[in-house]
Amino acid sequence: MLALLFILFAGMAIGCAISMVAQRNPLYSAISLIGVFISLACLYVTLAAPFIAAVQVIVYAGAIMVLVVFVIMLLNVEEEEHRPLRLRSLVPIAVVLAAIFFAETAFIIFFVHNAPNTPAGNVSDVGLTSSIGAGLFTSYLLPFEVTSILLLMAVVGAMTLARRGGLIGANVGLVPGQASYARETLNPLAYPDLSEVAARTSREVEETLDVAQAPHQHNEE
Amino acid sequence: MVGILVAFTVVMTMVAYTVLAERRILGFIQGRLGPNRVGPGGAFQPIADLLKFIFKEDIVPDKSTRFVYFLAPTIATTAALMTIVVYPFGPDIHLPFNLPLIGNTIPMVIAKLDVALLYVLGVTSVGVYGIALAGWSSNNKYSLMGGLRSSAQMISYELALGLGLIGVILQSGSLDLQSIVEQQSGHLGITGWNLFWVQPLGFFVYLIAAIAETNRVPFDLPEAETELVAGFHTEYSAMKFALFFLAEYVNMFTVSMLATTLFLGGWNGPLVHRLPWLGVFYFLGKVVFFLFFYIWLRGTLPRFRFDQLMSFGWKFLMPLAIINIVVTATIQWSGLFDLVGKFLKTSTGWGG
Repeated sequence: MLALLFILFAGMAIGCAISMVAQRNPLYSAISLIGVFISLACLYVTLAAPFIAAVQVIVYAGAIMVLVVFVIMLLNVEEEEHRPLRLRSLVPIAVVLAAIFFAETAFIIFFVHNAPNTPAGNVSDVGLTSSIGAGLFTSYLLPFEVTSILLLMAVVGAMTLARRGGLIGANVGLVPGQASYARETLNPLAYPDLSEVAARTSREVEETLDVAQAPHQHNEE
Repeated sequence: MVGILVAFTVVMTMVAYTVLAERRILGFIQGRLGPNRVGPGGAFQPIADLLKFIFKEDIVPDKSTRFVYFLAPTIATTAALMTIVVYPFGPDIHLPFNLPLIGNTIPMVIAKLDVALLYVLGVTSVGVYGIALAGWSSNNKYSLMGGLRSSAQMISYELALGLGLIGVILQSGSLDLQSIVEQQSGHLGITGWNLFWVQPLGFFVYLIAAIAETNRVPFDLPEAETELVAGFHTEYSAMKFALFFLAEYVNMFTVSMLATTLFLGGWNGPLVHRLPWLGVFYFLGKVVFFLFFYIWLRGTLPRFRFDQLMSFGWKFLMPLAIINIVVTATIQWSGLFDLVGKFLKTSTGWGG
């Protein structure tokens, strides 16, 4: 039964992976990648690691790939047209690398087959939520925290890029998705004559008077 | 297998009648009648609707992306239905005699999972693709906008939803729904509900985020009729539209079940320890209350604007959920729960 499930999900994973590389349409590639993630999650379940499986689906299939699909849809990327292979000189290198990879795989399979059969501790406990949690906060605390800091840095970097506050002069206010306005226009108190504001469209007035709760994003949609 | 069949039938029937109830209650709120001609009081309306869906012409837009266009409603429905298997509908029922194949204990949960809560979150997060891909593959600008809005909205509110649930996980120390329910017993099966403990804030956050996750009013921007025709399912007709419709109502149903399980004590209620089968009725009763609440909201509230929706989710709901986690963790760490628990919860079992 387990072997059957393994063959089914491993086959699905490999099929989806090949389809991901071979597809010309980026959205099809993304869908195939989701397929790979979900088949891998199913494999984790058969390996008695339900927590890892759930996290795999939540984080990769549910969050990261949604963002990828979102961006692809937003940019409305056209299907890549078929064009002749460039960088033909790299083909022999690719062949050599692939050969090394296959040799490595074969070596691992051979090695594992000949290894003495030693069970690694209590196998049934390994995939459980509590054992993973305990491991994360005791023996693997340092790597865990270092990874957190890395992620935090990425978030801060993304925010800095998105705000672009440092690149533009202090007298200019920037509304994401809109043109840039002088600060005087955004702050009517510093600009007693409002006649210019009254002549603008309703959305601009809304922003000018700071009635809108957040910057509009109509341009991006 | 039998369990899946029974649960499927029960949920499908309840979903069909939720649609009817929604139309009747909305009619009542808006001072009109609603469908009342098919059968007594409109009782056969769902069946008539279903027949209509089956016999309508199935129109596929010429320029649509065929494969994805067909895939999308399947994903939406499958993801919606898959979560049903982990909810505990009641306590284990012990029979005085042995049934063939089953024995004398009938578990009221189909699949007992160690990570049931995470499973629910994972499957729900995959459901987004149904809507997003439907919007993309239809080759229609309204559909695309609906799909985009929906993916942005669901990513944003999924965070608040998950963070809102962490309080409950901290308190119960388990991801298994059946044991979370068992911990919520108390006097009369009511005093132990998580809602009354430190979790009212978590409940509030979850309730709002869940409405946004199911794309219901006031967060129904993916299908805002007044701006986007019908949003992501503009180009869908006949049974494929019915599948989206079904997915939306099953989602409503499952988030109600999760709210009941985590915050309203699941199947706990008076006399459950004597008559375990009562638990099923308590559970479904609480779910029906939530469904009514949803319909009530739909009849009452106007729709958000998109920027309001985003700032509400990120700047209000998220911080609230994080505060909830900090408060719960502090109280849990100080041991206050155990102190109060001695007075409110019975230490042995889930008696009344």
